[in-house]
Amino acid sequence: MLRRIASSIRYKIVMVVLATTTAALLVAGTAMVIYDLRTYQQSRETDLSTQAEILARASAPALAFNDPKSAHEYLALLKVRPEIAAAAIYNASGKVFAAYQRAGEPSGNLPALPEFEGARVAGNTIAFYKRIIGNNEILGTVYLRGDYRLLGRLTDYLGILGAVLALSLGVALLILAWLQTTITKPILGISQLAREVMEKRDFSLRARKTTQDEIGYLVDAINDMLAEVGRRQEALEASNVSLGREMTERARVEEQLRQLNVELEQRVDARTAQLEAANQELESFSYSVSHDLRAPVRAIIGFSRMLAEEHDLQLDAEAQRLLGIVQSEAHRMGALIDDLLAFSRLGRQAMQITDIDMTQLARSSYESLAQHQPGNNVDFRLGALPRARGDRTLIGQVWLNLLSNALKFSATREKPCIEVSGISDEAEHVYFVRDNGVGFDPRYQSKLYGVFQRLHDSSEFPGTGVGLALVQRIVTRHGGRVWADSKLNEGATFYFTLPKSA
Amino acid sequence: MEPFEQVEILLVEDNPLDAELTVRALKKGGLANRLLWLKDGEQALDYLFRRGAYAERDDVPPRLVLLDLKMPRVDGIEVLKTIKQDERTRRIPVVIMTSSQEERDVAQSYDMGANSYVVKPVDFGAFADLARQAGFYWLAINRSPTG
Repeated sequence: MLRRIASSIRYKIVMVVLATTTAALLVAGTAMVIYDLRTYQQSRETDLSTQAEILARASAPALAFNDPKSAHEYLALLKVRPEIAAAAIYNASGKVFAAYQRAGEPSGNLPALPEFEGARVAGNTIAFYKRIIGNNEILGTVYLRGDYRLLGRLTDYLGILGAVLALSLGVALLILAWLQTTITKPILGISQLAREVMEKRDFSLRARKTTQDEIGYLVDAINDMLAEVGRRQEALEASNVSLGREMTERARVEEQLRQLNVELEQRVDARTAQLEAANQELESFSYSVSHDLRAPVRAIIGFSRMLAEEHDLQLDAEAQRLLGIVQSEAHRMGALIDDLLAFSRLGRQAMQITDIDMTQLARSSYESLAQHQPGNNVDFRLGALPRARGDRTLIGQVWLNLLSNALKFSATREKPCIEVSGISDEAEHVYFVRDNGVGFDPRYQSKLYGVFQRLHDSSEFPGTGVGLALVQRIVTRHGGRVWADSKLNEGATFYFTLPKSA
Repeated sequence: MEPFEQVEILLVEDNPLDAELTVRALKKGGLANRLLWLKDGEQALDYLFRRGAYAERDDVPPRLVLLDLKMPRVDGIEVLKTIKQDERTRRIPVVIMTSSQEERDVAQSYDMGANSYVVKPVDFGAFADLARQAGFYWLAINRSPTG
């Protein structure tokens, strides 16, 4: 049963009501009963006491004048009081002077000797002794005995209490029935709803509000919660759906991106193929240039030489001069073709980047140049050059061209001097070639690097004017810069840089 | 030169001007006495393998072949390949003489078994020197294989 009570509010409440009622009743009942019984006891005592007093005074003369008959008459008056069971007057020596018994009372039931004043309770009778005093002397004792139904009263009361308890039980059951509708039913309704919601996961269910009290408030709160949860769930589902949509969208976009990438790759490949084809065309072009253009030039040179050598007797000075012009121009054409070829080949080749010992490269370039121009007392000063990264062949070409220029333009000096050095800073290496030759007009600096552009007369200084263009092209391809400093007749310095990270 | 004298140098060159220059240069070095000039690759092969017009010649191979690359119909590379792949002619020294400096041509020539590769310079003086030196080297200094 305890378990039953523990699992049901309804029973708990019933138990509470019962317990409270019972406790209250018991407490009240007990208090009342005790109070009543005490009052009863006191009233009986008082009553007997008063009666005894009256009897004492009334019977005093009888005792004094030894008139038992009057005493007897007085005692017989007690007839009017049915609750007095027996009475007696004792004389001074303790002998019964007069007695009275209620009708039906067993006779002889009187104490032999009077006792002290006061009340005595024995079973369901209460006795009272009172001294009779007259003329300041004890004349005798009055004895009264009455009904004392304390116990009876008690049992009566207990009966009443029991009946009341039973009644209250009934009332409690009624209350229970009433509680059903106002408290437990709504609560059960709520818990039922909760179970349903949990089982079906249906947040659209609502509890029915039947009362306006805290339970009604609870119902409202639960309904609001359900509404909120329902909203949240909807929002969650909606966001799930939109997330799903987003994912598919993203997947689609990714697919598009992948497609685009593939397309891009294809386009790059196509473009590369195009470029390669163009390159191929250029290559075959310069190939035919190198081959087909040279042959006639070779013929011109060769045959005009043969003419000059084998028929010099038939040619006068003027004819020889003219022939000389033909030869030298043919030579020039050959040099131009060679330089052009070198220049175009430069663009076509892929660069092979390696670590370059610039000092050694500059030195060997100079030495190969010096071989072809022996007999010059050139003061060549080569400093320690920082190592660089680049294409060895191409950088070698740069040194060759710059040094060749330096040599060429300082050849007219008595003491030609060429200085080569270099330094590094954080981002790049800087090299220079300085000569003490004729220099150039710095105003025309920008023209230095044009292909076939020359700032000097070809009669003074031979050259096709491609050398510096080549240098600039190579250095630019490596990510560096070229510039020059000069004053007419005071030599020239040509600088070029190579970046540290090639 | 008599067609059936022993040929020392076989010059295969389609350009007559170039051929004349070469011959002159070799003459200057005294190397052109027994030189045969053929104008295209087909004739060269006919000669080397003793076919066609040259079926009756003596079976003595030339001591040196100077071969140009760019020729119509059968070009230099073809000729080179054929010479070097045939047992009868494989040992004949073949010097490629051409205007082309292209790395591609150099590589291919050596791949096909050329003994040497020489670029014809534009300048005649240099060309003459070159032809003379090459001729001298291959005929006088270099030891040809017998047979």
